[in-house]
Amino acid sequence: MFQIDQYAYSNRLLTVHPGEKLAFAVITMIICLISQSLAALLAAAVLMAGAVILAGIPLRVYLKLMTVPASFLVIAVGAVAVSISGNGEGYLWGVDLGRFYIGIGSCNLDLSILLLCRSLGAISCLYFLSLTTPMVEVISILRKLRVPPLFIELMGLIYRFIFVLVETAESIYTSQSSRLGYRNLKTGYSSLGILAANLLVRAYRRSEILFTTLSSRGYTGEIRVLETQFAVSGKNILAIMAIDVLLILLSLAEMSGGGLIGRIYN
Amino acid sequence: MKRYIFSMLSYFILILFILPQNAYAMHIMEGYLPFGWCGLWTALMLPFLFLGMRSIQRTVQERPSVKMLLGLAGAFAFVLSALKIPSVTGSCSHMTGVGLGTILFGPMAMSVLGCIVLIFQALLLAHGGLTTLGANTFSMAVVGPLVAYGIYRLLQRAGAPLWASVFLAAALGDLLTYITTSVQLALAYPESVGGVTASLVKFAGIFAVTQIPLAVSEGLLTVLVFNFLTAHSRQELQELSVLRKEGQS
Repeated sequence: MFQIDQYAYSNRLLTVHPGEKLAFAVITMIICLISQSLAALLAAAVLMAGAVILAGIPLRVYLKLMTVPASFLVIAVGAVAVSISGNGEGYLWGVDLGRFYIGIGSCNLDLSILLLCRSLGAISCLYFLSLTTPMVEVISILRKLRVPPLFIELMGLIYRFIFVLVETAESIYTSQSSRLGYRNLKTGYSSLGILAANLLVRAYRRSEILFTTLSSRGYTGEIRVLETQFAVSGKNILAIMAIDVLLILLSLAEMSGGGLIGRIYN
Repeated sequence: MKRYIFSMLSYFILILFILPQNAYAMHIMEGYLPFGWCGLWTALMLPFLFLGMRSIQRTVQERPSVKMLLGLAGAFAFVLSALKIPSVTGSCSHMTGVGLGTILFGPMAMSVLGCIVLIFQALLLAHGGLTTLGANTFSMAVVGPLVAYGIYRLLQRAGAPLWASVFLAAALGDLLTYITTSVQLALAYPESVGGVTASLVKFAGIFAVTQIPLAVSEGLLTVLVFNFLTAHSRQELQELSVLRKEGQS
């Protein structure tokens, strides 16, 4: 149903300890947020893409996923690049609009390029995590990190029910559209309203049934499940440390060496 | 003056055509906010999350079945945000579900459910992100629900008809969510000349103004859902209000 979720359960890195994958993704993500070096950011993006390919996810799928945040990326990065001011000083390119001057300043352009690369780096880290680590494992790691048990339990419940409800919503949608429910805008709105209302009622009924079933099996406020055991691999931890130290060094080198971006932001 | 109005008008028309309307609820993307701002918004969001957790905990102790209900409510909010709203141009847009969720489950529960839904949207759908989770939770699961709830209660007390309070709560909750997003972006990236105000005009022009038609359609849909529920599922609505009472405490 969700492509990302499907790959999370069927990739080649499934047997790797989820804690290692989470640590790799999160640490690299933080480096991406702090780093001012285009080289380090792009290196992070390439490394993460490489790791995803190593996990056996087709390149085509990965590239397609990269287009998901593209609309936000284009709009938001564009918005930073373009600025409005009273006069057109310091603009590389601009349009005179009478009282305003809209254009692209060189300083803004540098910032927007940095943002673009930073987002690329951070998104690749997110994709590495979500494509290689099943949600159930992420939740079990969060449990070990002492996230409040109620939050963890709600996460687990919501994750499982998403699939049930999506399936229900899809079958309602199919039967509605086969009866011309989405023929025009007016029927479309009323059909969607009915769909959402029915989905809610069914979700509510299902939660009652679930509670009855669980209670009859001795539920006392806690759902315990067996967790898969993973072996911690020293080799992987060393590799993760090496890569992240390398990325930090790359960022530091550009900061002190005074690359274009480094000079402006220090 | 005439020229000014003309340029503003042409801007709005231009932006309505250029922007892709098929975007999901516009969460701030992974890696877009600097480290400091991520931390600040997370710190601002945590107290609300804590309050929400405490109020849920209290209700669950009294009625254990509420936990299952919240699980399904969260999944419902996730699925709701993935539903496509039919539109004239053939492009598709999505509901935020902020208004509906708040009126049904209360603002306290929504802060927790919203946070979890945002985590799943980031990990399962690649919308939003983990580093920007704090900022997105603050706009969508704290500000939006609080505004929607405030408007709903205020109008209901003033004796407004149900449809009007539901419509305004949903539409304004949606709109305020995106105004908050614009403020977050503007604070993080102020203009070199005009400062935060200038960049707020810029970001709000992109993220909030374009959201107005979507806010109206979200309001309409929420009213439709409510009409259906009050007509056919009165009993369920009354039973669901357990969650809301917990939110008021």
